[in-house]
Amino acid sequence: MPAVQDTIDRVRKIDVDQYKYGFQTEIAMDKAPKGLSEDIIRFISAKKDEPSWMLEWRLEAYRRWLTLDEPTWARVHYPKIDFQDIYFYAAPKSTPGPTSLSDVDPELLKVYEKLGIPLREQEILAGVQKTDASELEEVSDNVYKSGRVAVDAVFDSVSVVTTFKKELAQAGVIFCSISEAIREHPELVKKYLGSVVPTSDNYYATLNSAVFTDGSFVFVPKGVRCPMELSTYFRMNEKNTGQFERTLIIAEEGAYVSYLEGCTAPQRDENQLHAAVVELVALDDAEIKYSTVQNWYPGDAEGKGGIYNFVTKRGDCRGDRSKISWTQVETGSAITWKYPSCILRGDDSQGEFYSIAVSNGYQQVDSGTKMIHLGKNTSSRIISKGIAAGFSQNTYRGQVSAHRKATNARNFTNCDSLLIGDQCGAHTVPYMEAKNSTAQFEHEATTSKISEDQKFYVMQRGIPEEEAIALIVNGFVKDVIQQLPMEFAVEAQKLIGISLEGSVG
Amino acid sequence: MNMHAQPQRTPAETALIDAFGDRLSLLPGDGAVMLKRDDAIETIKHGLPTRRVESWHYTDLRRLLNTVPDFDPAAMAKAIAPIVDGSTVVSILNGKSDAKVPVLEGVSFQRLSEKLVDGSAAPGLDPYGSDDAIGALNTAFVADGYFVDIADGVELEKPVELQNLQAGGQTHVRLTVRVGAGAKAVIVERQTGDGAALGSSVSQIVLDEGAEVTWLIVQEQPETATHLAQFKAHIGKNAKLTLFVMNAGGKLVRQEIMVRTTGEGADFKLRGINLLAGDTHTDVTMVLDHAVPHTTSTEIVRNVVTGKARGVFQGRINVHQYAQKTNAKMACNTLLLSDDGEFSTKPELEIFADDVICGHGATVTEIDHNHLFYLMARGVDEKSARGLLVKAFVAEVIEELDDEAIVEALEARLDGWFAAHG
Repeated sequence: MPAVQDTIDRVRKIDVDQYKYGFQTEIAMDKAPKGLSEDIIRFISAKKDEPSWMLEWRLEAYRRWLTLDEPTWARVHYPKIDFQDIYFYAAPKSTPGPTSLSDVDPELLKVYEKLGIPLREQEILAGVQKTDASELEEVSDNVYKSGRVAVDAVFDSVSVVTTFKKELAQAGVIFCSISEAIREHPELVKKYLGSVVPTSDNYYATLNSAVFTDGSFVFVPKGVRCPMELSTYFRMNEKNTGQFERTLIIAEEGAYVSYLEGCTAPQRDENQLHAAVVELVALDDAEIKYSTVQNWYPGDAEGKGGIYNFVTKRGDCRGDRSKISWTQVETGSAITWKYPSCILRGDDSQGEFYSIAVSNGYQQVDSGTKMIHLGKNTSSRIISKGIAAGFSQNTYRGQVSAHRKATNARNFTNCDSLLIGDQCGAHTVPYMEAKNSTAQFEHEATTSKISEDQKFYVMQRGIPEEEAIALIVNGFVKDVIQQLPMEFAVEAQKLIGISLEGSVG
Repeated sequence: MNMHAQPQRTPAETALIDAFGDRLSLLPGDGAVMLKRDDAIETIKHGLPTRRVESWHYTDLRRLLNTVPDFDPAAMAKAIAPIVDGSTVVSILNGKSDAKVPVLEGVSFQRLSEKLVDGSAAPGLDPYGSDDAIGALNTAFVADGYFVDIADGVELEKPVELQNLQAGGQTHVRLTVRVGAGAKAVIVERQTGDGAALGSSVSQIVLDEGAEVTWLIVQEQPETATHLAQFKAHIGKNAKLTLFVMNAGGKLVRQEIMVRTTGEGADFKLRGINLLAGDTHTDVTMVLDHAVPHTTSTEIVRNVVTGKARGVFQGRINVHQYAQKTNAKMACNTLLLSDDGEFSTKPELEIFADDVICGHGATVTEIDHNHLFYLMARGVDEKSARGLLVKAFVAEVIEELDDEAIVEALEARLDGWFAAHG
């Protein structure tokens, strides 16, 4: 059946011509020359004051990248990217250590203001160094009351500031930009960087390994429950730049961390490239929750401009009983090519993937997940909801595989798609690979097969079936999305209300 | 940036290209047919598909096809009894049709070799795309087969059985069937033999308005044979096609199914059983195009994997932009019974119309312990209980066929397989 009016209205509200974050800011920038070469990589490495092993690592990745072909299997079409026409490094010119709000580049402040981040937080975001300890407490107290979130703000190629570092350090948590981590904690970076997504992984990950400029680094030591939400806010501002961020999150034995990521970019006629790599490592009994609200500029109503988003995200449940959960709300980007995955290596480890992808205009989304079951008694769950409107193409592509030794691997996958109008397309491409007879995989792309018990429970209270299903599924997703901080949750909340009515496979 | 050189040809690729040169003078066809053969061998020269080709993701033909036998003119295959008594039998022995075609009222049989020579078979020889390795292989080498025409309104009481029997070497055959408006028929396609052959077989059927056809593919090649097959159908207005595929043999098997609804009210049903044993590889790949509004389809594929067998099911349903009110459902269920077996499935939906109902489901699991317990608690020993449950799992699909003689015949094949592999 076709989509219901309520759903159409809600999707319309987040259509491409309604993009609110498309403004651009004039800020004095420090840029590397255009193009890509070993010299540019040396330039980036030098700018970041990196040790020589890091430079070698980058160069090795770059040499490998030269031998790779651009992948073509995804259901996305775009003109060939000219990598020599991109600035690989652009950073706001820094004035050393602003000590009060008035010292910070007012333009930078305005950016955060426009992005709707509250003043208190804005003060923190802009990198005001509080010298008085009591004052610091006061600030954190206030923020605490309004829901505490530590933020790493990445502006084009660099991390502008990371908040709450001191307080996190008291708990033993390291939260800083990856550039800082390379300098301050080389032993950790050396041990984990590239251990989940190796430099040889794929075309875009290899490119990222060569040229990544910034991103966040999180280390939660053994037994620590991270005292607050951590988040990174990515903003692309400069024209013709590519953003290549690298995020590395490590949760040691029994640790827990919830991390959120948000991103926006100005409205431009040219396409901009964003190729990120995110690596998560969870050791025994650790849990990492990673949420994304992806809202890069999607291009205009005619399909002009927008971000090419080619992202490699992978979590490694390295330890027994570890858990990694991905939640993503995808509304932006002209092209999305993104498959947050879980390698379930540890016994009894768990992987989860919840996704809502809405495409409008001429957006193309090819997104999904991979659940690679390697350990014993591992389980994974995939819930994906794709909504296509306008002239967009929305593809779910997911892989579930059980290795020969993965006894009792368990997977449940459910993906629904909804089409609004007859000029768009919705596609489902699940790959299921079982090499162990005790594996139990279920994939369904219909709305009628939610747990009969749950459905019965709701329906016998007089709620019609369609509503009952919507209630159950929405409740399920909501659980995760409600944990997003306010500024991210707004977008997500709008989508949650979208009814399942009219879903096709 | 692209520094990849053209990879070296594998021995199998070289053997195929050489064989084409050697066979050329023996291949029937007029100018148009020979041109299509030349184009087809060019496709093979570009290399057999690897897993980087999406439609061959789980069957890396380049790696899996490691030997290509020579053509064997001395091979002698024997005709076999049809699975349903009283069927009209047409045989192709070692890739050659019988000069004496049967006489059946309302049905005409023609040898494909004659239609290749006069060029009338040329239009049907085009592969459907650059990744159509089976179509290309067949077009390059096809020497014979049958062309069957069932006249409008003819209702056949007994099945027509088309046998493709090999005794080693290479065989490349093609079966083309047209079913006239309002005609009804049951067609059995037997694919078997006793040699270590490499065979390609392409079946094509067109159903005119209101035609109703049940087509059974019974593939029981020996565990030494490579069988590359294609089934292509166009289903016209209000026509109904039920395709039943049973794969129970072969060392390397790929059965492609390409179906297109071309008229409103068309209905397609696929029922498949893959019984996999030994160290074999079996791939069933379906592409179903709902190209016009108001058409329906259901697909159920059941797989049983034992030994070191590897199984693949890829099913793609394309709903075209104007194909509103399409109703399509697909299910693929697999019982994985051995530790060394594996099964990969990729059920795809590509939907461009917004007022449709499409769904797919896929499961992979072992035998339900509760079911086993239930039977064993009633005194059935474990082996028999397992046997019962596995048989019930696949027999369910057969029983839907609704024609007693056929159901019995297929269940007999099923029992034969279980006796040999259970």
